[in-house]
Amino acid sequence: MGANPIVIIGALIYFAIMIAIGYFTRKAALNASDYYVAGRKVGSFINGAALASTYLSPASFLGLPAFIFLLGYPFWWALVGVIGGMPIATLLTAAPLRKYAPTSFTDYYADRYDTKWMRLIAGVPTIIAGFAYVTLSIVGTALFMLAILKLNYNISVVIGALVVFIYVFYGGMVATTWSAAFQGVTMAVAAVVGAIYTIAHFGGLNPMTDAILSVTPNFFNAPYVNEKPSSALMGMWTGIVGFYYTWHFGFAAMPYTVVRFFTAQDIKSARRSVFWAIFFGGAMYLGLIIIGSAARVLIETLHPYMSVEGVKDAMGVLKHMKGVYGVGGAAVTDYSMIAAMEGLKSPFLLAVIAAGGLAIAMSTAAGWTMVLNVLLGRDLIGKVFGSKWPEEKPVQVTRIMTVIVIVICTLVAFSPPALVLDISGAAFIVILCSVGPPLVLGIWWDKANTTAAVTNIVVMTVLSTFSWMYANSKLGSAHWFFLSKKGGLVTPHQFYWVFVGLIFFILLSLVTKPNRPEVIKKYSYDLRPEN
Amino acid sequence: MFKGMPKIFWVGMVILYGYFFLFLILEITIPKFPLSKFLGVPFCYIYNWIMGLWIINLIVAALFYLAEEAREARLSKK
Repeated sequence: MGANPIVIIGALIYFAIMIAIGYFTRKAALNASDYYVAGRKVGSFINGAALASTYLSPASFLGLPAFIFLLGYPFWWALVGVIGGMPIATLLTAAPLRKYAPTSFTDYYADRYDTKWMRLIAGVPTIIAGFAYVTLSIVGTALFMLAILKLNYNISVVIGALVVFIYVFYGGMVATTWSAAFQGVTMAVAAVVGAIYTIAHFGGLNPMTDAILSVTPNFFNAPYVNEKPSSALMGMWTGIVGFYYTWHFGFAAMPYTVVRFFTAQDIKSARRSVFWAIFFGGAMYLGLIIIGSAARVLIETLHPYMSVEGVKDAMGVLKHMKGVYGVGGAAVTDYSMIAAMEGLKSPFLLAVIAAGGLAIAMSTAAGWTMVLNVLLGRDLIGKVFGSKWPEEKPVQVTRIMTVIVIVICTLVAFSPPALVLDISGAAFIVILCSVGPPLVLGIWWDKANTTAAVTNIVVMTVLSTFSWMYANSKLGSAHWFFLSKKGGLVTPHQFYWVFVGLIFFILLSLVTKPNRPEVIKKYSYDLRPEN
Repeated sequence: MFKGMPKIFWVGMVILYGYFFLFLILEITIPKFPLSKFLGVPFCYIYNWIMGLWIINLIVAALFYLAEEAREARLSKK
């Protein structure tokens, strides 16, 4: 299989549009406010499309179809959980945080919990999740570069990292907001076009379902009512509920989406942004469900590598690709979505999918790199350690941070430690159980206090990181309960820490001293919609 | 806790979680439920793919912002 000129032209058109957006918005990022929060000038439609493309990452575009490919129909509920978390964010965090209008994710923690050191404490899990996400975005960009150029994976990683680096280096939040909006539309269109091609190939939903069942008879099996579930990880209800909740609260509390609420024009615009984010994100997910469900049958009936000697099934195709292109670590299974689209043998389709994939990978990398830039530069070097450098030269500082972040993440991307969706799940759980409760309850509960916030962040960061890594290394998958055994209790990504963290934070807040009344009034009571 | 949260938020939560857990319970108690036919296609394409994934969430998001804008309009008139 060689590089197809139509696919390359499609990718070049995408890059040309991105460069044009960067050129025409270049003068908008001249001061710190524009660079960090786009001057708070972004309308709801644009902000909603940007929210969707930033929040949804290669973990969605590649990872979700790969997990449907591996786990079958019950995993569809995980996608329902991701999109279902979006409307909740409208009133839970988006509107209150826009009312508060900070610059950085950690501003709220420092103000509400009344100490600058909260920037550092809340920054630790954010840095862990941020590096994980930039890494998976570079992996995603590299896999699409591989699909376009048919180059070795390591070379694709270098090109992918360079693309992301140049994009963020010259961007800032203004450029990334406008280009992210374009990327949001591109990724949704790509996934929907892929789904239309897939359904049309089979001749409708019914023949497609029959074809899926002919290759994977257990695909639609639910736990308890079938002799054999669709997968061992879907053998009990905790598997479905766990995957549903792993990403569910992310839209309300993950730093890279929360900062996009800051860029909205006003509270009304912030609320309406969520509607548009669901419109674009949901449309993309509709497409990804179809592609992921049909991936195995498409690969096994149509992919050119099925004719290679020794290749007998879809996993054989992916293993063969790992050898041909030298794909590092676990990343090759993430290629299943692209391999399915390759099977349909349409260069136009592959060009659209590649553009959508590059769009989603680059926008997430940019969103997270901006969060890390602001956190490491403005917040830690400037606000915590008192340097004037970030205040005097914000663009220079964040650009140096960009270099550091991209170099470290590129080195990890050469051999990713897990599937992109597994990296994403780990990042979500660490953030949601540690800094999630102090953020949400900081707004909605007067008793939330500094002692509880510090303790919760430290304890939950350690527990969630340790249990995930322990289960992943000792039990062979992060989805078995870490104190259980392989094949025992299914707890995807150790998701229960999200609820344990919430209860732990409430209990701690009840037995420790509340913050000053004036702080509670300004950063909690006054931010609520009905006050 | 959650004082000042608009009531429509709790209505939205009941719709989203009620819908998810209702169909989850149906799936794990009725054999072959996802593949039972509804409107000529396997039912899971209706209740999970189109409704659960997209339409319900759009409706709840619209409910939230419309209800809040109506409340704010009432307040500004007062």
